[in-house]
Amino acid sequence: MRKRSWVAPTAVALGLVATPVLWEITRFPVFYLVFVSGILFWAAQATSWNILSGYSGYFSFGQGAFFGVGVYTMAVLFGRHGWNWLFVVLLGGVAAMLLAAGIGAIAFRLRSLRGEIFALLTLAVPFILAAVVRLVDVIDGGQGIVVPVPAFPEAVAPFQRFYFVISAVVALLALTAAYLMQNNRYGWALFAVRDDEDVAEGLGVPTFFHKMIAIGINGLIGGMSGAVVALNLGFVSVEGTFNLRVPLFVIVMSVLGGRNHWAGPLVGAVYIHTLQNRLADAGFDGWSLIVLGTVLVLLMILAPDGLMSRFSRRPWQVSAAFVLVLAGLAMFGTWGEPVDWVAAALAAAAIVAFLPGRGVSPAQRGVSSVGLGESRAFGEAMKTRGENWTPEPVVTATDVAKSFGGVDALRGVSITVHEGELVGLVGPNGSGKTTLVNLLSGALRPTSGSIRLAGAEIVRLPPHQIAHLGIARTYQIPRPFSSLTVRDNIAVAIMFGREPKSLAESRAEAEEFLMLVGLTDLADVRPEQVNLHERQLLEMARAMATRPSLLLLDEALAGLNPVEIDNAVAVVRRIHGSGVSIVLVEHLLRVVIQLATRVIVLDQGRQLAEGTADVVLRDPAVVTAYMGKESHAPGD
Amino acid sequence: MTELQASIFGALTGSLFALMAVGLSMLWGFLKIINLAHFAMILLGGYLTVDLASRLGMSPVATILITAPLMFLIGALVQAGFDRFGVSELNSLLISYGLLIVTVQIVTNVWTADFQRMSPDINPLSLQSVAIGPFVFPMPTLLAAGFGTVLVFGAHLVLERTYAGRALQAFGQDRQIASAFGIDHRTLGLVLAGTAGASAAIAGMLFAVGEPLTPDSPFEWIGRVFAIVILGGIGNVTGTLYAGVLVGAISGLVSVLWSPSAAPLAVFSLVVLALVFRPNGLFPRKAGH
Repeated sequence: MRKRSWVAPTAVALGLVATPVLWEITRFPVFYLVFVSGILFWAAQATSWNILSGYSGYFSFGQGAFFGVGVYTMAVLFGRHGWNWLFVVLLGGVAAMLLAAGIGAIAFRLRSLRGEIFALLTLAVPFILAAVVRLVDVIDGGQGIVVPVPAFPEAVAPFQRFYFVISAVVALLALTAAYLMQNNRYGWALFAVRDDEDVAEGLGVPTFFHKMIAIGINGLIGGMSGAVVALNLGFVSVEGTFNLRVPLFVIVMSVLGGRNHWAGPLVGAVYIHTLQNRLADAGFDGWSLIVLGTVLVLLMILAPDGLMSRFSRRPWQVSAAFVLVLAGLAMFGTWGEPVDWVAAALAAAAIVAFLPGRGVSPAQRGVSSVGLGESRAFGEAMKTRGENWTPEPVVTATDVAKSFGGVDALRGVSITVHEGELVGLVGPNGSGKTTLVNLLSGALRPTSGSIRLAGAEIVRLPPHQIAHLGIARTYQIPRPFSSLTVRDNIAVAIMFGREPKSLAESRAEAEEFLMLVGLTDLADVRPEQVNLHERQLLEMARAMATRPSLLLLDEALAGLNPVEIDNAVAVVRRIHGSGVSIVLVEHLLRVVIQLATRVIVLDQGRQLAEGTADVVLRDPAVVTAYMGKESHAPGD
Repeated sequence: MTELQASIFGALTGSLFALMAVGLSMLWGFLKIINLAHFAMILLGGYLTVDLASRLGMSPVATILITAPLMFLIGALVQAGFDRFGVSELNSLLISYGLLIVTVQIVTNVWTADFQRMSPDINPLSLQSVAIGPFVFPMPTLLAAGFGTVLVFGAHLVLERTYAGRALQAFGQDRQIASAFGIDHRTLGLVLAGTAGASAAIAGMLFAVGEPLTPDSPFEWIGRVFAIVILGGIGNVTGTLYAGVLVGAISGLVSVLWSPSAAPLAVFSLVVLALVFRPNGLFPRKAGH
């Protein structure tokens, strides 16, 4: 996980270890082969679901749709028309992937479509598909389809052994994809989306593209796995395919195992399938959905982070509990059969994992002071410029207006920011300052007007492209990615910058920005563990990590004490000194006077005044806007 | 003529779905809870109506005297749980999904997976019909439409005219501010969730009077009901009724003109279009008062 170069060899090594282990399993009695094949099927389904829903946080109830497309592709093309089954497995995956891409293209395009509505839309898809399949005679027509046993090589006979092998291949494919993504940019883009999609987009992450990749992989693997399982079913029906089992099981398994870890769904699949199997064996078939539904409810309330995170907190105790119980039961051999021993050992491991107590807790944060690290990388760029240097405009907004419903937040404002400027943007509450920042960063589109960055129109561009062109912003209330450390928050911005970088390179480069704002000491803690001031510094470091030419600071000093303000002012000076133009939205006029080379005053969505700080802040119109009509200009 | 009959019939059925939707919509809009267990309560209400009418010989409509208070309690209890554990919007969806699955399986175990319907001698309504002009409507559909319309408009009046209703609206718009002004969201939330539960019981009765029930019925309702919630605007009571009528009429029309299987597709497309062009629902309330 530390270096990218480890990833591929680790995957290969895992494969090399797994293959003989799996091959050894193929010599198991048929009963166990079937049992393990069941785990592998669910591992593939749940892992593919987790790549979209766990990694990106876009919760899908539609796994049954991808599964069902795979099942019916196999049933129709192989069962009815006798196509080559191996080819049809691939086709089933592709067909489900196309469906997934269709859902994604609609759902992810809609800005109003929040996660909850996405979840509800995916809830509807399997039922619509079921209706179509039931009514179209070319597919099913309500009669069901017989799927014959395919021809397979003698080396993997009997059928259960053959089925085990192809299930293992699909499961390994799913797990490899999940593992690789957890350690590369495709996964990290999704983590950023899950934590804060708008911020991710603003830092240069093409969120739509990455969500499409995730739902595509979800569909592809879900469909392939469905096609494979159809071979084992023998008979396929609408009721047996588009029911609640698949969506419920993948959700319960992933929640139980843990949605933040590639192996979480696998762990969940092992647990739930074993539980299912034991329930059925004990004659409680009709109870399994009741048990699973209850497990889901309890987990969501009591332990939404799942087993994986708890295992990693006390790995030795958990392994010891598993091995001891398994070995003990096997040695005595007086109770149950091997599956019972495994079930008991799993239960013991889970109990140890869930025992109260801290275990090995994450490193406690010590008392730390924010040191003002020296920034060597950022020389005083301004000084190197000659006397005759004339600044070019960086961004030019012409007559931009924005209305929300009937409310005009901005009524036609024109501003230009030049190279090397630090423009203070001030105005009373509701004057449109934050709206202007949102328009410049592309978070909102203006109702009318034009915004040009280095001469190019950016009004219609998505925020991540505007970020790549050189505008970065901070948020008034800091919005760090809560599941990533301080360093990794910055690394994400570097990874998805103008020039794509690997995770390892980005982490190394993040040091420079940690130093810039003086957060080096806090690099490895989570954002929730640092104070407001430090989070605001993190906002600045993360924005600077996109290497902008223009930085928009939206009340980056709000709520700080005087000492912290002085520190933040020093950081802003240093950033400005490195040659970045800055627009500073600020209520503290002291700070504006200290820093700004020019001040623009907004009032009620219009530009009220512009000029150097000492001139503008004496303007009677400005004073009236701030103090109300009764007041007079402050006498000296 | 068939088209007209079909769309009127669909619109009448639609108001039953609007009744199913209105409780969900209010919980989502005001309490930020997406309660899939609402469908479980409708299902239970329906089955209890069948059971009480068949075993005790009660009039099917009168069974709501028992089921509505019961579902009021269950609804309030579920809400108390959500409140106690501070469940987020997305997590409420997952938790209530678990509750729905559990209920469906319990219903299957108790009443079997077969269709259940009341015989005509205990449910004489199912054989009656009313002729209005050239059209003939089955009694259960008219009953559902009547109940649905009256209850939804009643809910609207309560929201607009009473202190509790206005407090709820305030709470839906800004929880913190509303709490700071002394709105007791706990009690209000419990009453609202209980009322939604009672409306679920009534919807279940109305469905059972007209149609056969199976444990899987909730999954046939979900798509259409959420379409109505989204089209009507989340938390918008009268919008829900209009959306229900619209969705019903369109489904009826598409079923006749094309095929019943195309109806969900038409509704689904309408939802997607609405999300693109009218993200606040088709019938937004006017800003201000």
